[in-house]
Amino acid sequence: MENPAAPPAPPGAGPRIPLAALAAALALACAYGLSLGLRRAASRGSHQQPTPEAWFETSAPSSPALVAQGRALFLSSCAHCHGADARGDEGPDLHRVEVSDRYIANTITHGIKHEMPSFKRKLGAEDIARLTAYVRSLD
Amino acid sequence: MNPEGWAKMHGATVHFPIALILCSGALDALGSFLPAPATRRGLHAAGYWTMILGAAGTVPAVVSGLVMSRGVMLGHDTLRLHHLFAWPAFALIVGLAAWRSLASDFTAGKAPAGYLAVAGVAALLVMAAGYYGGEMMLGH
Repeated sequence: MENPAAPPAPPGAGPRIPLAALAAALALACAYGLSLGLRRAASRGSHQQPTPEAWFETSAPSSPALVAQGRALFLSSCAHCHGADARGDEGPDLHRVEVSDRYIANTITHGIKHEMPSFKRKLGAEDIARLTAYVRSLD
Repeated sequence: MNPEGWAKMHGATVHFPIALILCSGALDALGSFLPAPATRRGLHAAGYWTMILGAAGTVPAVVSGLVMSRGVMLGHDTLRLHHLFAWPAFALIVGLAAWRSLASDFTAGKAPAGYLAVAGVAALLVMAAGYYGGEMMLGH
């Protein structure tokens, strides 16, 4: 039974902090759920495979030689849509793309429905790594 | 709506929570140090409402941001930096609003030091997320 003579709890005391932490966790969980749903919808639309993200995902190691090889491949396979300078033509500008290396490789591999062909049969994993290094080098 | 439309929507919605959250922390901090009780009560009441409205404003900002990036929670390069500050800021803002809703009696006295410290961290995170958001929009 509550003691009427007891002094009122000071502001910020009691179960407020755990409840606030719970609300914060719930908000993040909702955002994550929305993110998953949107990514699944986007991957269905572009027949790409969903690529789970990892915290602190690093870029694949690159080198000037790899970038140069990627540039040669780009000119033979991609420049007719993206332009020789990759500034965009029929396809979009590829400078400073804000997506992960895996996303770039995935897009090259599987293409984008009604927008970009799949290069799965034309290019091997090493070629796609070279192209990814080149696209990543475009600042 | 296409991604460009959602990007505009993100820009249109994100500035309200930024302004309100920064104001809320400043008002509560000021209200804790001023001696006049009436002024203190007024500042804490303003701090309460700006925090609640700021937290409510994060919902359209987060939803438009997620839709414009097609569900990318982290991304790469500048987008990743933006997200590494924005998500902790979002969590802290919702937590602060919940804390504040449960402890609206700040008007009776000083805001708890812990609350002010967390609000300060949230404000710093919001500013950093806003900085990298601006980098993406204007840095190209």
